[in-house]
Amino acid sequence: MGVKSTDILRAGFFGMIAWLKNNRWLLFSMIIWPYLTAFLLIALGMIYGSFETYKERLNIANPILYILAGSGIVMSSLFIIDTVATNALYHRWLGTLPYLMLTPTKMYKVLVLEPLPGALLSSTMGILAVLPGAVYFEGLLGAGKLLIVLLLVYMGMLPLIGLSIIVASITLVLREESNVAAFLTPLILLVSGVFYPIDVLPKVLQYMSRIFPTSYIVEATRMVATYSIPEFRALFIVAYALLALTLFYNGVASIALSGSEKMVKKSGVI
Amino acid sequence: MAPAIEAKNLVKNYVTWERKGFIKRTRKIVQALRGVSFTVEKGEVFGLLGPNGAGKTTTVKIITTLLLPDDGEARVLGYDVVSEAEKVREVIGVTLSVEKGFFWKLTGRENLKYFGMLRGLKGGYLNERIEYVLDLVGLKELGAADKLYEEYSLGMKARLALARALLHDPPVLILDEPTIGLDPASARTIRELLVKLARSGDKTVLITTHNMFEAELICDHVAIIDKGKIIAYGTVEELKRKAADRVSLELIVSIPKNMLNGLEEKIVALTGLREVALEAIESGRTRIRIVARPGEEEYVMEKMLEWLYSNNMKVHQVRIREPSLEDVFIILTKGGGRGG
Repeated sequence: MGVKSTDILRAGFFGMIAWLKNNRWLLFSMIIWPYLTAFLLIALGMIYGSFETYKERLNIANPILYILAGSGIVMSSLFIIDTVATNALYHRWLGTLPYLMLTPTKMYKVLVLEPLPGALLSSTMGILAVLPGAVYFEGLLGAGKLLIVLLLVYMGMLPLIGLSIIVASITLVLREESNVAAFLTPLILLVSGVFYPIDVLPKVLQYMSRIFPTSYIVEATRMVATYSIPEFRALFIVAYALLALTLFYNGVASIALSGSEKMVKKSGVI
Repeated sequence: MAPAIEAKNLVKNYVTWERKGFIKRTRKIVQALRGVSFTVEKGEVFGLLGPNGAGKTTTVKIITTLLLPDDGEARVLGYDVVSEAEKVREVIGVTLSVEKGFFWKLTGRENLKYFGMLRGLKGGYLNERIEYVLDLVGLKELGAADKLYEEYSLGMKARLALARALLHDPPVLILDEPTIGLDPASARTIRELLVKLARSGDKTVLITTHNMFEAELICDHVAIIDKGKIIAYGTVEELKRKAADRVSLELIVSIPKNMLNGLEEKIVALTGLREVALEAIESGRTRIRIVARPGEEEYVMEKMLEWLYSNNMKVHQVRIREPSLEDVFIILTKGGGRGG
């Protein structure tokens, strides 16, 4: 019989769609989340200074749209981390993990592929939710810029998946129900540079921001927002950085997952 | 011809860490399996019986490829569970817990579709199989196929778990306590279904249970496992012969909660018999079973009733009867013979 990778992806996609169909409030909250975050940040930001100050500091023409898109990016990144990294923990909690592992194929294949459609769908929704805002402020140009951001998010997904798998492997091996991703999420938020420039952070955090893909996507978004040709060229540098991170994280992830499969099956933590 | 399931000298140790204070922990080795061997022939219902913590689930996890043995080997339809794990997973249908293992926010039908897709089933065939198994386990009849899993009763959950195990039409079913916690009607439905599947000739069923009544009713062969070792193996009748020279005393009693602690030891001391078992049943009542040798049953019963009445415990039912598989289980797991 044999199970193909596409079978696992189909199952993951079906599960996500059925879950959203039966949880309409969740779907609604996913759509309005970037708007709520942007509203909150702008309201808080107004306490410290005007829009003009923000524009000057970040070199951004439209802070509202930028924050909106930034919230979408962060949300998408967190969705990926959350969906892939906590997937094993989620299935263990539900009691479905053994049944996933009973799929007649390699365990790492199931653990990597099954959450992918959900991660892709959630991150796409996170970005597309901003589309009405982009069209409202900048018309079709805004929509076009957002599509470039979406492509960047997809590129950023590749290293994030690797990072998430490393986290998933650690989570699987730990006997306690430790959510390693819970530690990663605020760190990503802190160093992503989405709500303030990275150079205001201490040096250590600035270096740290270089190892997280989200920082590059946010930087690229800022470039797309200014839309000048020299900076557009700089997008390639971002692409190379993301490619390097992809190779690094996914290389480590494949070693980590095959190691954790053996440990899990030996210790019987499932 | 290879047997359906074959376990040879399976050994499994778990490492646990015992906390001593806030930081200090000591390493402890728990011997879960100490050389477990048995064979399940094709087309039979095989029961792996044992008390809690005896090693039933560990055995099941090894046979289903979820756990690696430290030593020994196991095969399913000739496939090795370690080196041919993927082949083994193709030919088995498994239930590990009837209480969970599904997505709460998906309906029964959606859950089956998801797990069917994970097994590589597609399109029309997948839908046909879903309809067939939903019908077979009676979820359609109960109108539960399109209900969310979170709305299911335990009986419905058990039926859905069995439906998933049958979805890809595997020749071997491995079911860990498939009727645990179910009401009598649901448990009977599941049992009847398992027997029907095995008698149809194309399925082999391995169930683990600590319900001796269930094992006696549906199993062709049973193995009793205790403290990680198989202590008895054979047909139900063969095992019952081990208790042929005994009689079984059964009392159903209402016992105050404060008296339950250490009750078994008190009965052992009172009667001088070690083969005593207590079981909580419905309405706060307790079933006391004592295995005695012929000739001593009247004396033991008299002593018991005297003690129960003097402690103001209400006796609802008293029975002396032929030994059952449960008595064999009590004899084998409690050490047998006279105590004291």
